[in-house]
This record gives sequence, C-alpha cells and structure tokens, in this order.
Amino acid sequence: MPRARAGWSQRRKEALVGYAFVLVPMSVFAAFYLFPMLYAAYISVFDWGVRGKIEYLGLANYRELLDDGLFWRAVRNTLQYTAEVVVLQTPLGLALALIVNGKIRARTFFRAAFYFPSIASSAAITAIFIFILSSDGLVNRVLGWFGLPADTSWFGDDRFALHAIVGLNAWTTSGTIMLFYLAALQSIPTDVYEAAAIDRASRWRTFWKVTMPLLKPAHFFVLAVTIIGALKVFDQAYIVSRGEGGPNYSTLTIVLELFRAAINDLRFGYAAAMGVVLFAFLFTVTLLQRRLFGNSEAS
Amino acid sequence: MKTRALAAAGVAVALLAAACGGGGDSGGQAVAPPAEASGNIVLSGWGSSPAETALLKQVVADFEQKYPKVKVNYQPVSGDYPTAMLAKFSARKPPDVFYLDPNFAQDWIKQQLLEPLDGYIAKTSFDTSKFVPQLVDEFKGQKDGKTYGLPKDWSPLAMFTNTALLGQAGVSPPKTWDELTAAARKIQVPGGKPICLSPDWARALAFVYQNGGSYFNDDKTQVTLDSAATKEALSWYVGLVRDGLAATPDKLGSGWCGEALGKGKAAIVFEGNWLVPAMHDQYPNVKYEIQPLVAGKQPANLAFTNAYGMAADSKNKSAAWALIQYLNGPDGMKVWTSKGLALPSRTDVAPQPGLEVFADQADDSRPWQFPAGFSSVLTVMGNEITSAMQGKQSVDDLVAKVSTAATQALAKSR
Repeated sequence: MPRARAGWSQRRKEALVGYAFVLVPMSVFAAFYLFPMLYAAYISVFDWGVRGKIEYLGLANYRELLDDGLFWRAVRNTLQYTAEVVVLQTPLGLALALIVNGKIRARTFFRAAFYFPSIASSAAITAIFIFILSSDGLVNRVLGWFGLPADTSWFGDDRFALHAIVGLNAWTTSGTIMLFYLAALQSIPTDVYEAAAIDRASRWRTFWKVTMPLLKPAHFFVLAVTIIGALKVFDQAYIVSRGEGGPNYSTLTIVLELFRAAINDLRFGYAAAMGVVLFAFLFTVTLLQRRLFGNSEAS
Repeated sequence: MKTRALAAAGVAVALLAAACGGGGDSGGQAVAPPAEASGNIVLSGWGSSPAETALLKQVVADFEQKYPKVKVNYQPVSGDYPTAMLAKFSARKPPDVFYLDPNFAQDWIKQQLLEPLDGYIAKTSFDTSKFVPQLVDEFKGQKDGKTYGLPKDWSPLAMFTNTALLGQAGVSPPKTWDELTAAARKIQVPGGKPICLSPDWARALAFVYQNGGSYFNDDKTQVTLDSAATKEALSWYVGLVRDGLAATPDKLGSGWCGEALGKGKAAIVFEGNWLVPAMHDQYPNVKYEIQPLVAGKQPANLAFTNAYGMAADSKNKSAAWALIQYLNGPDGMKVWTSKGLALPSRTDVAPQPGLEVFADQADDSRPWQFPAGFSSVLTVMGNEITSAMQGKQSVDDLVAKVSTAATQALAKSR
C-alpha cells in the first residue's frame, strides 16, 4: 500500500511539473488566442459599437452576410488569390530548398539571400512594388526594351492587380517555405538515398519516389500554413488599394472587408461575424487536409 | 500661493464638470468660463507637414500663455488615424480635443463618442455665425441637430495650371468646360496628358453640381443621382479620359494629381488649397497658376473641411472647450492660417494673399460629406468610377450601381 501511494504521488508530481511547464504558454495562448476567438463569436451576435454592446441580434449578422455583395466578392477574390499563391509559392519554395540543400558554392549566402524577403516588412516590400509596378516603373521599362506594351498600371488595372499581389507574395513567402522544406530535407536519413543509388535509380526517379514521399509531413505543414496565411491576406491589398479594395473590387479580400466593416462602418459585430465565418472555413480546410494526408505528420 | 489656490479651485470646477458630464449631454453641465479652466488636456490630430505641425504648436503655445492654468499635451497620431482613434475611444481614454473628419463625424456621433458643444457655445457666448455656415452644418448630428465640432479650416477645389506647358501651347487658362476641352486639344505634355483627373467622386461631384445634378434631395431622404444632368456631367468627366485628353494619376506614374502637376506629367489638375504647400515643399521650381474651377451651367464647388471635436469621455471638458474656442476663435485661426497652409473657416479672418481664389468660392461650395453608414458606399463609389474611367462600364451603369448602394445605406441609416 505505501509503495502504491508513493508511486501515485510520484506520478502526480510528474504531472504537476508537466503542467507547471505548460502553464505559462497555455495561459498566454488562452489570454491572447482562445479568449479573443470566443469573444469574437460572442460579439458576432450583437450590434456592437465602439462603446460596446448596442443590441442583441441573434443570427441577423450572419443572415446579412449571405447577401452582402461586397463580402462575397471578397470571398471570391480571396479564394482565387489563395489558389494562385499556393500553386506558385510551394513549388518555388521546394525548388529553392532543393538547390540550397545540394552541394553548391556559397550555400550559406544563397540560403540567407533566398530567405531575406521573408524577414523584410511586408508593408515596405509592398510600397517598393508600387513603384516597380507603376505605369512608369521598372517592370514597364523592361517590357519596353522588348517592344511590349509598357504603360500598364499593374495595380491600377483590375485584370492584373490581384495577380500582382500574388506575385509579390509568392516571392516574399517562398523563403519561409524553403526553410520548412530545407529542415525536412535534412531530416531524411542518407541511407535511403544510398539504397536508391545502389538500385541505380535516376535522380529524377529518386526525387519522385524517395524524396517526395518522405516529405509528406512537410507538404502537409507547408500547405496548411500557406493556405491559412493566404486566406488571411490583408496588408498588401490594403496598401495597394488604399483600403478601398480597388480597382473594381479586384483586391478586396475577406480580411480587408472585415477591417473596413469594423473601422469604417463601426460595425464590430458584423465584422466579427465575418471573422467567425473565415475561422470556420479555415478550420474545415485544415481538417480536410489532415484527412487527405492521413496522420503521417505524427510519424 | 494664490495661483495654487486658484488652480485647486479650477480642478474642483473641472471635476464637477466631469461628474455632471455623464450621458454625453452638456445641457445641465457646469461649464467653467474659458478663463477659469485648468488642468491637463490632450490634443490629437493626424500628422502633417513639419510646417503645419510647427504652426499648430505655435497656436497651442499662444493658448497656454493666455490660459496658463491649462497644459496642452499635443499627441499627433501617426499612421491610420481612424483606427488609432477608435482604439482610444474603446479604451475610454480618447484625447480631449482632436481633428474630426466630416465623413467619420456622423458615424462617431451615432456611436456617442463625441460631446455636443451647444451647451458650451451658449454658456460662453461663442459666436458661431462668423463661420462659413455650411461647414458648421457638416458637424451637426443628423438626428439631433446638435453641434459636435467646429470647422478648423477648409478648402474648395480650384484649377491649377502649369504656366510653361500652357504657354508653349499658346492657350490661356480655360474658364468653361468647353474651353477646357479646346485647351486640352492644343496642349502637348511630353510623357503625360494635358489633364490629370482623379477617379474620385470628391472631384467629379463638383462638376455634377455645376451641371444641375444632385446626390440627395434637400432633406437627404432620397438618392437623386439618377438624372440626365448627373449623367451628362459624369459622361463629360469620364469622356475626357476616354478621349485621351486626360488620364488618371496612376497612368501618369503618380499617386495623386498634385504629384502629376509637380512632375510635369499633367498641365491642368483640380485640387484644393492643400496642393499649395505640397508644390512649395516638393516642386519649388515648377511655375503654376491657380484659377477658379472651370464653370458649368451654374456656380458650384465642393467644400472640404475638418473640425475640432471633443470626446464624450473627456475628463476635463472645461479645459477642452477653452482650447477649442481658442483654436477656432479669431486669434487662434489667424495664426493657424497665417502661412497660407490652410484657409480660414471664419469669415472674419482674412485669407492669405493669393488664396482669394479659394475663399471666394465659399458661397457656392457644398459639403463633401455623407450620412452615417456611408463608408461602404464610398468604397463602391471609388471602385465604380474607376471602372467607368477605364472604359469598363457605361456612365449609366456607374450611376445605377452607386444609386443602389446609396439607397440601401440610406434605408439602413434611418
């Protein structure tokens, strides 16, 4: 009996130590993530103003969302943006990772250089891109050398504005993706490559049959992170369109519309409802991905 | 010793004022005469040019000298002004006195963020009749009719012309719409266009009014954009771009038309008094003239203004009012407008020489302001007029879409 009790208290002691270790991060998580999330859900059923609660509305905010033309335009833009940016930046990041994982000269320099755009402020990069892509900017100058039409205002034309943001974001974020893939590549044991070499597998075949499958957990992680990041796009669209989402609503994203509803219309409840819808969507996408990729990320 | 006792009395009065100030109604509040106000207050506004900041600091210093018991802490807001202000309002710690944009004003009034000033105006016999009347009206609550801000300065639009470019073409500054078109056909601007036009209702609407069009009916209960006069004016405005006589600033490699004039990419632009200091600071070598807006069927212009407002949550409303009545009084405004950076909103303060072209427009200028809940309509307006100017939709579609959005917003706001 005494021994059993000692064992139990030993276990309890260990558990307590464990909880003590996670207490600080968990309370930070609860205070700055969990609480605001739940509070946003609470706000979303009210007409909520700057000074707080005005009136209980039930699901009226959500019903209004259903036929809010601007919101659905924003949803469409955001989905299009996400699809394009993920398709563009994931292979780019993987390619960069493969390059700097190989034995090349000045490897450290290239690793740093490719990663650099990711640490620069997105506001600053966007401001520079406004100059580069303006009607008398660098890109048009270069196009002019090849005799192509050289007076496009890339951010001022609804055919190009969203794609221009895709391009600039794919470039900035590819460095981070490179880093994720690089870490995953280096955790692949060398013996599988040796085995492949002994079997005389070509480099192409080795990549598709060995590297890619072994990167599966990284794929899941990268896709989850980039999709979530892309669906939250805001600052570039805000800066490029001066908060209007223009031209012709082409850069109106969900979070930009949410920001507008809160800050300009002072409809915090309505904006919170948009936030809840966005969260529900993100959550579903992540669950779907987990299902799709199995539970291999645990291995 | 004596000053201390006085200060203590002042604090007591201020506390009393604050204690009575609940509910945002100043009707029954004890308002200390400005001379007796005391304590610390915070003044905020959006950041502006160093010259403008220096002037404001000078006016505030003059105020503190005249009202030595009040200490003003000037805290300009850098970055996004409404966002920063809303955070302060939510935290119940707003600045006591601050810049108020008329296009936020109605929403802020509706949310009870602002203190009505009528009680203070009445008790201190502050004469508001000296202001350009329609500017004061912009800051009256659309439901209660109370005054929530006093205009600190204003500007209508004018026509800025590049002297050299017009001289080369041998044209004098146009005076009417037709003359403008004719002049634009003669002017050659290397790497640019004769005219820069903003895809912005804050320009186009002036011409709509000139043509006899309107946005609302008189009591703002109905959207009246859908008229032949409005469409004719917008077709002319948009047509200048479609005919290649004008371009939007982004096509001229500029952030706004003022920049296009400065860079020599446009010979004619329509801007307000704010372009004068910008030209002086950034393009001191470009010679330009300021002319009245080209005229349509009837004289009309847009009035752009900002006010000083007081927070409903201010802890020292007597001192806040003392500051507002000084800043907006003849002495404060005289210093504030002394460098020509701003146009006085009071008729008893003379504008700087050369700015009469703006001041003369006072009677014909209509407020650039919309009712509460119109922020999303402004987004629609900006996007749709851009589309029309890019030739992606007809003026009829532009008017129809804006009318629909405005009508919906109007229905919601009542």
